[in-house]
Amino acid sequence: MQYIIVGLGGQGILFTSRVLGYIAVSRGERVMGSEVHGMAQRGGSVISHFKVGDYSSPLVLTGAADLLLSFDQNEGIRNLHFLRKAGHAILNVHAPEAMENPHLKSFLAERQIKAFCLPGYDILREKMEGRFLFMNALILGAMCGAGAGNLSIDEVSDAVEKLAPAKFRADNLKAVNLGYGHFAGK
Amino acid sequence: MGNKVILLGNEAIARGIVEAGCDVAVAYPGTPSSEILPAVAKYADELGTRTAVEWAVNEKVAFEVAATASFTGKRTCAIMKQVGLNVAADPLMSVAHFDLAGGFLIVSADDPGPHSSQTEQDSRYFAMFAKVPCFDPASAQEAKDMVFDAFDLSEKYHMPVMLRPAVRVDHCRQDVETGTVRDLARKADFKKDIRRWVCLPAHVKINHPQLNAKLDSVREDFETAFGRYNLEIPAKGKARIGIIASGVSFSIVMDLLKEWKREDVAILKIGTPHPLPVKMVEEFMARHDNLLVLEETYPVIEMQLPNRTKLKGRWNGFVPRAGELLPEVIRDLILNALGEPVPEEGVPELKAAIEEMKVTPKPPMLCPGCPHRASFFAMRKALPTGIYPSDIGCYTLGVNQRDVDTTIDMGASLTSASGFYLAYKTDGKDQPVVATIGDSTFFHMGILGLANAVYNRHAFVLAILDNSITAMTGGQSNPNVGEKLRQGDEGRRIEIEPVVRGCGVSFVKVVEPYDTADSAEVFKEAWEHAKANREPAVVILRHPCMLLRQKQARVKVRVNPDKCIGCKYCTNFFNCPGLPFDEGAKKARIDERFCVQCGVCIQVCPHGAIEAVEGEEA
Ligand code: SF4
Ligand code: SF4
Repeated sequence: MQYIIVGLGGQGILFTSRVLGYIAVSRGERVMGSEVHGMAQRGGSVISHFKVGDYSSPLVLTGAADLLLSFDQNEGIRNLHFLRKAGHAILNVHAPEAMENPHLKSFLAERQIKAFCLPGYDILREKMEGRFLFMNALILGAMCGAGAGNLSIDEVSDAVEKLAPAKFRADNLKAVNLGYGHFAGK
Repeated sequence: MGNKVILLGNEAIARGIVEAGCDVAVAYPGTPSSEILPAVAKYADELGTRTAVEWAVNEKVAFEVAATASFTGKRTCAIMKQVGLNVAADPLMSVAHFDLAGGFLIVSADDPGPHSSQTEQDSRYFAMFAKVPCFDPASAQEAKDMVFDAFDLSEKYHMPVMLRPAVRVDHCRQDVETGTVRDLARKADFKKDIRRWVCLPAHVKINHPQLNAKLDSVREDFETAFGRYNLEIPAKGKARIGIIASGVSFSIVMDLLKEWKREDVAILKIGTPHPLPVKMVEEFMARHDNLLVLEETYPVIEMQLPNRTKLKGRWNGFVPRAGELLPEVIRDLILNALGEPVPEEGVPELKAAIEEMKVTPKPPMLCPGCPHRASFFAMRKALPTGIYPSDIGCYTLGVNQRDVDTTIDMGASLTSASGFYLAYKTDGKDQPVVATIGDSTFFHMGILGLANAVYNRHAFVLAILDNSITAMTGGQSNPNVGEKLRQGDEGRRIEIEPVVRGCGVSFVKVVEPYDTADSAEVFKEAWEHAKANREPAVVILRHPCMLLRQKQARVKVRVNPDKCIGCKYCTNFFNCPGLPFDEGAKKARIDERFCVQCGVCIQVCPHGAIEAVEGEEA
């Protein structure tokens, strides 16, 4: 399983790969990932690579990722080329109309990529007093709700519960459920 | 057997340092090396070792402190990023000649790309220059293993040994095996011996040939006794290509071959690029006609081969001479070398979409609420015709506000200010110059430039942006903060003002940068003073970094659409992620996803369009 996780510095992307890593290791699988630290973290584009299974290098080849988790619409679009044929994308979108771009639609269709879009900022604004720091938990929940990847909502909730600081545990779990509920059963 | 835990490459290196019985670890932070030393402190606390763990004021200091501690027979290490090794080059060249007592490890983290550096230089080249052995890990686990071997090798030959992890090893996250501490129970025991410890020219005449002999022996060892790092992965049947690879490039090749299910490729992995096991490489070369070398970032393996004419590599430009070897790059290089078609990056539709939607990568920016943004704004307002040399740190991002005109390296804001002063002075012109430097960088290398400017009477303004942290690299302590890394250690804080006064500066004023009007007044005053007295004048702008999350007044703001005339002054010169310009409405607006309610932008708009929302001040 190869993931690409993208967004902007400061959005809490590293937490997401920690959750994925925790689950993989408790399943007895090997992990390998690459993170961004330093200058790029100051609000600029950031990308994390994460691979579960028997790999040697931490980087994902373009066109080989199974799953793209995107915290930011533009960053998500910019990195769609990482997805393999029939890969899945979970995208936080703030301008859904832009996703109707005909070139984009034909690219997705051609590659049989399923893009699951959710208005993450709106959800967090309405349901979590605009605390956008919970985007990572929201997206992880959405991934399970959309049935993308191979992790169950229980595994994700359990890992988030273990890894989140005590102070934010309940809020993180709430965000996981909000993300899950956005797609599950629809 | 140890436990498997997921570690960052830098944590794996730190774990190795503590487990290998290192007694003194000293570093200066710099991406991609910064996480190593805090992890050394963490593991030393957890495992109850006595390891001394310290941030030094710069890399030269770190190197000398650690190297000298090894003279007593203890294991020590100095940790830095690749350009930090430039700062430590002087002691590196010298200490390489010494006949050391305890093991001395140098960790120099490289940044091919570069992602967070002013160069993408190759530390292995420096190892070659200094004649010290170098290990080049391909994974986090291997980096940890190599720490042990590096210490052992250093003690076998009494010479410094370098570990060169590149950024993809430093910042990879991987399951790594942990073990227990080797308790070496060493006691410091410095044996006086001027031939060993004093670098007189007469001693170099003995020590240099001795160093050469050591290096020959290390090369022999690398040829024969390091099969876990230098190994051949043969093809099944006849190999159509032989690839010599080191570091992460090796790991990438392995993943590609697996993905392709190819078996007609032979690989020679080199984990000890200096001194190169030449015989091993030549023997591999003799068996293959089609040869590709993949290494980052300079042709260090290639350079050490007496005959490289057969190789496709960086040397002859087959492999690009600059830049990171990403999986896509390596894929294309292998296919090109094999004469097979390179897959089209088959995404024209996506490219078209990205162009139409004007989606571009987002460059890093100063955080919302960052005090530097306010400091820069005041500086430009006070001295709009100034030249603004700056330095290395978050504030280099002031390029986005057009408030950074030059940056060379750590500490050069001051020396560049001196250079500008002299160049204009010889024309008889008083050119305003404002140098900006952070608190950590000031202690790293700024003080010397200041002493030089005072001594030579250079007129400029020095703005010390004091946010009480080494922010860019993730928030390390420094002399201005005074904290130390290990539990129970106490440091002593050094205040900036007395240091500046001690260097002979007579104009020293401290301001709150959020008050841009007041800061601007002080900037003007400082320049007048500098000009009149022919000396540097210092303004200290003091406000904590947003990373420290200190409590501060929250001022909710809005852009009044009736007053905003769409002039873009705010986005051009203040450039806050929380205050974007809406091209559709032709007006600035607040983006509440990013705004931290610092309230500084109210002072920025010349048309009074940015207002505090009444009744919402906290
Ligand atoms: S980390 Fe601190 S110094 Fe760096 S941009 Fe953010 S607020 Fe400014
Ligand atoms: S908010 Fe003020 S400075 Fe910014 S565009 Fe509007 S009028 Fe110009």
